[in-house]
Amino acid sequence: MSEATNEGPASPAANRQRIAYWLIAPAVVWMVLFLVLPIAMMVYVSFWTQTTFTIEPTLTVKSWVTFFTSETYLAALWTTVRIWLTVLAATLLIGYPAALFVGLFVRNRTLQTALLVLCVIPFWTSFLIRVLAWRPMLGKEGAINIVLQGLGITSQPIEALLFSELSVVIGMTQIYCVFMVGPIAFTLARIDLNVIEAARDLGAGFLRIFRTIILPLSMPGVVVGSIFVSVMVLGEFATSAALSGRKVNMLGNIIVTQVGSLKWAFAAVVGVVLTVIMGIVVAGLLRIVNLRKEL
Amino acid sequence: MQSTVIKPVLAIYTGLFLLFLYGPFAVLTILSFQAGPEGGPQFPIIEWSTYWYRHLVGLTPPSRVAPLPIYEGLLRSLTLAFMTMVVSTVLGVASAQAFRSRFKGSGLVFYLIVLGMMVPGVLVGLGMALVANFLGIDRHWWSTAFVLHVVYTLPFAFLVMLAIFNRFDASVEEAAWSLGVSPARTFRKVTFPLIFPGVLSAMLFAFTLSYDEFSRTLFASGRDLTLPLAIYGTFSIEIHPNVFAFGVLTTLFSFALLAVYAVLMGLSVRRARRFAIQEDVA
Repeated sequence: MSEATNEGPASPAANRQRIAYWLIAPAVVWMVLFLVLPIAMMVYVSFWTQTTFTIEPTLTVKSWVTFFTSETYLAALWTTVRIWLTVLAATLLIGYPAALFVGLFVRNRTLQTALLVLCVIPFWTSFLIRVLAWRPMLGKEGAINIVLQGLGITSQPIEALLFSELSVVIGMTQIYCVFMVGPIAFTLARIDLNVIEAARDLGAGFLRIFRTIILPLSMPGVVVGSIFVSVMVLGEFATSAALSGRKVNMLGNIIVTQVGSLKWAFAAVVGVVLTVIMGIVVAGLLRIVNLRKEL
Repeated sequence: MQSTVIKPVLAIYTGLFLLFLYGPFAVLTILSFQAGPEGGPQFPIIEWSTYWYRHLVGLTPPSRVAPLPIYEGLLRSLTLAFMTMVVSTVLGVASAQAFRSRFKGSGLVFYLIVLGMMVPGVLVGLGMALVANFLGIDRHWWSTAFVLHVVYTLPFAFLVMLAIFNRFDASVEEAAWSLGVSPARTFRKVTFPLIFPGVLSAMLFAFTLSYDEFSRTLFASGRDLTLPLAIYGTFSIEIHPNVFAFGVLTTLFSFALLAVYAVLMGLSVRRARRFAIQEDVA
């Protein structure tokens, strides 16, 4: 590639670059206007003065003080972090073995694709209906309790299954674990089997091969999956509203409530806190893996 | 690998995993055949019936259970998804095409676009509602909600197209250029047919993501409800199996969409193969 600058504006390289700018401009304008601007607006409004019924553009940190001194808000912050970490761990632990099987052990491409498609099919039902479907699963007379009692494992229904933090975690794990399985399976499918073959010829056992070859090579998939799951769980409010009977409040639920009562400044503060947490999480994960190289 | 032990164990595990994925779906399908209007969304099944399906289309006598307010929402959601699909696919293809030549600031632009799928919907929704309030603009599903849907689906279209272009053999384009074909015509006649499978995937992504998108729409869409918002409305009242019947029907609709996609994909792959064979012969 010759990137000489003294060729004048008509050189092919400069020409191509000009076309590239024209091609990228609409997307950049769109993103700046409808993504960056709203987020900047949120930061700005979080410093507005909020009274019971009105909001004025007089700058103050009062809403911020309210957030960090209120037990409700801090509890929601803690709940969000706790549920996020639990769901992240659960999707990884439950999803990894399935991804290992699909990505590494099934080498028939058709079967591999079929299995992945099978994982994706439940996602063709509306997200909200999938959330609602967990109610008859987990309820006192729900499917799980019926099966457990039918098998004689429990003698009476487990009531803690529904309208608790547990139900929120179970629901989110099922809804989001495919976003973990997919990326991991893709990275595993790209591993050169000869490397594993060579390791085995040299006498390495499965655990050793897993620890020194498979696991490190699957890390990009784990990171990408973790980003997907983290981003979605951190911004959640519907699953916790539907499956906890509004007992479990995440930051997302607080935003919805505040917007509902027209407390825009408080909603904006919670929004900024959520944005910061998400930024730290994603930036931290991206430090482990270069996303652009993984395409 | 020690297939004798590990492979069967993992195979059984994957079976259980699929069971876990399909459990709620199975339950929702079974309960959609609950007797109505007294049968609730829980076990046991009092009597098998198609009552809730008939209820959905208004073929049952009036009862205390209000019909789901879905029809206008369905129309809006389909229109919105279609608009989103067209705009985000066009922008996605253009952006990915731009990324094929190196330009200053491409790293920043990459993260700017990818940010669209990273930021939780409730945050952009809130931000957009604040902007609309500030500027005194009315919020509608076809305006404020629509632009947010594109913000969400454009990164998917962009990444799909980027992956396609990564595996793209540019020599066919260069051949066309060197024969004096204009860049625009080269794109239409050579590049586009070759990337068409990718474009289809991008369209499918954008359509389905927008059709089911809910957290961005909640604050940004104003008075008129889209389909997911209509379903969200049932959260606050008692739910009935009509929601489940509707879930089954929409899933069937999704499969129809997937079938269309598969057929188009098959056709375009076959065409690409024929193209390759012709090249070999030539």
